[in-house]
Formats: sequence, structure tokens, C-alpha cells
Amino acid sequence: MLKKVVLALSLSASVAVSAFAEVAVIVHPENTAEITAEDVARMFLGKAGQFSDGKEVLPITQETATTTDAFNTGLLNRSSSQVASYWAKQVFTGKGSAPKQVSDDAAVINLVKDNKNAISYVDASSVTGDVKVVLTK
Amino acid sequence: MKNMKKSLLAASVMLAAAGAQADVTINGFGNVVGGIASSDDVVLNFDDNIDFQNDSLFALQFSSDVSDKITATAQVLSRGEDDFDVAFEWAYLSYEVNNNWTVTAGRSRLPLFAYSASLDVGYTYHWVTAPNAIYNVPFNNLDGVKVSYSNMLGGWDILTDVAAGQFKGDAFGADLRGENTLLVSLQASNESLTVRGVVGRTDATLDLAGSSDEQAALLAGGFSTMRELGLVALSDSLEMEDDEGQFLGASVMWDNYQYFVGAELTKVMIDDSFSNDDTAYYVTAGARYGKWTPSITYERFESELSINNASLINDIAGSGLPDSVAATLTSVALGAQASQVEDYSITSVALRYDLDSGVALKADVSRYNDDVSDDNDGTLARVAVNFVF
Repeated sequence: MLKKVVLALSLSASVAVSAFAEVAVIVHPENTAEITAEDVARMFLGKAGQFSDGKEVLPITQETATTTDAFNTGLLNRSSSQVASYWAKQVFTGKGSAPKQVSDDAAVINLVKDNKNAISYVDASSVTGDVKVVLTK
Repeated sequence: MKNMKKSLLAASVMLAAAGAQADVTINGFGNVVGGIASSDDVVLNFDDNIDFQNDSLFALQFSSDVSDKITATAQVLSRGEDDFDVAFEWAYLSYEVNNNWTVTAGRSRLPLFAYSASLDVGYTYHWVTAPNAIYNVPFNNLDGVKVSYSNMLGGWDILTDVAAGQFKGDAFGADLRGENTLLVSLQASNESLTVRGVVGRTDATLDLAGSSDEQAALLAGGFSTMRELGLVALSDSLEMEDDEGQFLGASVMWDNYQYFVGAELTKVMIDDSFSNDDTAYYVTAGARYGKWTPSITYERFESELSINNASLINDIAGSGLPDSVAATLTSVALGAQASQVEDYSITSVALRYDLDSGVALKADVSRYNDDVSDDNDGTLARVAVNFVF
């Protein structure tokens, strides 16, 4: 009886975890710049173009909605539609364009491991040794 | 058919050629707005038959990097209120000097108001259309140069624009021109608060004589009669010809992405002309519940009558003109100014629903109250689809 309850609890806990997936912000392993959560938000909203060491920032987003929603809510403090509306405003006022987008975690990691300027995010469970985790949220 | 094939081929060759030289980014947006006013009323150009033209528009924006630092942008826009005629809304080159400074030359949006730059892109705000009291001005675009400076100071993002050039527009069915226009705006924003101030000046000329509006043409005739009869000072004080106009604006918006509240106030003054001083403001507030954004807005426009050439008007009677002529000219002089008196308020409730990334559905109901004549009171209901791609 007790076992069953524990099983049920752990099942519901894992469901809860997947609904609020943890997102890892990642960069190239050789990137030693100091990056705070606030820096990440500014980089992905086009307000900061350089890392603390002066290197140019190449922010990358991904099409996988659950991961991007979690990143937008957790780090940009905005829903995905608010982020879309923000970029529409920037684009049509000539103030910039939205970050480049790739398909999923694997594509993100592939890109970030080969590009020292890149910064992106993946589901925390997808992180490999090819990239460096800056922070998780 | 053969011709069409040929032109398609030509178009694709041109596109391919353009692609070979530089990447051209194409973005677009549109608003489809349907509205109907309460029976026998006309509210914001809508009457009691449903209309899908007044507030609808479609646009394509092309931009291409000419070099590392220079970007060319053109926006082609088709407005329902202009029978969907297609025109270049914007066409400019921008030069990014460094991370802080950008210089823009060509035709671009005049940074008059907080939402000026994205005014046509309904998708970027919570209203069906931006508040009429402030945003319904006869000109919006500047032909000239704009210098922008942005930086971060003490946790605030600072954005300064200095714009200089000329604008053209329509008012009273006549051409309105603003020469030697200069506009300076300063905006500061942090995570949730944005404050903005703007001052501007121009030399305004309104070509009333060429107006398609009957009353405006009548006024123009009256003004020129005054001039012919020697009442030059009076005519000068009424006509809008190279007269200095001043513009002041301030706005504040607080938005924590759950709730938002904002307000904007503007003042327009044109010296030595029949135009009155206009004051307009709005206050808006709303909340976001997932995909839903309900909001409420109160706006007011006041064009107050201040006859500042009364002694010149009184002089008509002593000018030795026949009584009937003097009486007509006096009524033209007073009527020109009195006819510009406007005082109205609009209260509206709106609802936005984010259907998908890039598509929003909206509906609003507005109550228009005219404090000059109750006959103009009315209610307007609108629905809208806004999209960007």
C-alpha cells in the first residue's frame, strides 16, 4: 500500500518536472565571460551585443516550444507571444531582428560547440560535455 | 498567359540576382479591422453599416545590409482609408556608427509619440488602434535625418532621437507642410518602467486655397479678401503660412508583464493662425491572463478657443468697409477659429487574444462623447485580426 503511494507520488513528481522543464543556458566551452541571468535576458532581447570580455554575442533560439516557453518565462520574464510581439516592434521600427532559430536541443548543441560567440539554451537533460552550462533556471 | 510567364521569369531572375548580391529580409504585417457604429451615428469614420476598410492595412518591409554598417529599409504599405493604394511609407538608409550611435537618412517615422514607430503594427500593442485623441494626426513621416543614441546608464536604458527635416500631410482637404522641423526625444526605461519626453518645432503652411473641402475653400476666399481690402495684419494672423508650430509630449508606461498602466499627454500650438491650441491625453490599463489581455482606455482631446487677435477683428468695423462686407469678414475671422473648437472623450474596453505566435485577435467597444455637440455622441464596436510574418 505504502509502496503504491510512493510510486504514485514519484510519478506525479516526474510529470510536474517535465511540465516545468529545467532550462540550461549554454555557451562554447572556451567562453570564459561572466554571464548573469540579467545579461542573458539583455542578450536575447537585443539590448547587449557583447560578452563581458568584449566578444560579439550570437544568440540562438530554438523551435521546440516547451523549451523556448520555459526559457522565455524563466529568463526573459515574458510569455512567448510577448517575446514575438517585442520582436515585431523591433523589426518594424528598424531597431533589430530576432535571434536566429534552429530546430531543437541537438541542433543547438551542434551549433554552440563549434561557435565561440554563440549562446543558447537547451532542456537541462540534453546537456553534453561539448558545451558549457552558464546557469540553469 | 505567355506574358505572365515571362514576367514571372523576369521577377524570379531579379530576385535571384538580388539574392546573389545581398540577403534581402522580407517581413510583413497587416491589420484587418471591421467596425460598426450605433444606429444613425458616425464614430471615428465608421457609420452604422459594417465596414472593413477604414482601419485595415497591409505592409511589406524589405531590408538589406548594404555593407557591414549600412542597412537599407523600405516599407510598402496599403491603407484601406486610401482605397488600398500602395505607397512607400518608409525608405531609408541607416548607418550604425557604433553600438551607441545610429544615423538614419530618408523617409522614416517622425518620433512624435510613444507608439509612433510601431503605430501601424497592431500586433505590437493591446488596442485595436492606438488612441485617436493623440495618434490621429495629419502627418506621421519625416523626410530628413535622424540621429539616435542609446546607452545604459545606472540600470536605465536611455534612448535619444534627434530628427530634422520636413513633413507633408493632409488637413481640411488641403496640403499641410512642415519645413525646418526639429524634434528631440528622450526615453528612459528599466525592467518595468518607461518614461519619455519630446519637444519639437516646425514652420507650418496649410494650402487652404487648394482645399477640396468647401468650407476650407470658403475660409481661404475670406482670408484673401481681407488681404485685398488692406486687412493684412488680420489675414496674417489667421492664415497658416510659415507659422511656427510647437509640440510637447510626455508619456509613462509601467508594465510588469502581468499588469500594465500607462498615460501620454501632448500639446500642439501653432502661432499666428486660425488653428487653436490642442491638448490631448489618454490613460490606459490592462492585465495579461495567459493568451488573454483585457484593457480599458480613457482618452480626451481638447482644442480650446482663444481669440488672440480680437483687437484686429474689432478693427474691421472701423475700417470704413461697407457694413455688410465688414460683418461677413468678422464672421469669417471668428468662424475660422470657432470652427476648430473640439472637445471629446472616448472610453473604450478592449480584449486581445493571442491566437498563435504572430497572430492576435482583438475586439473593442468605444463610447464617444462630444462635449461641443451631443449630436455627435455614439458607440463603436470593432473586431480585428493583427498579424506579422
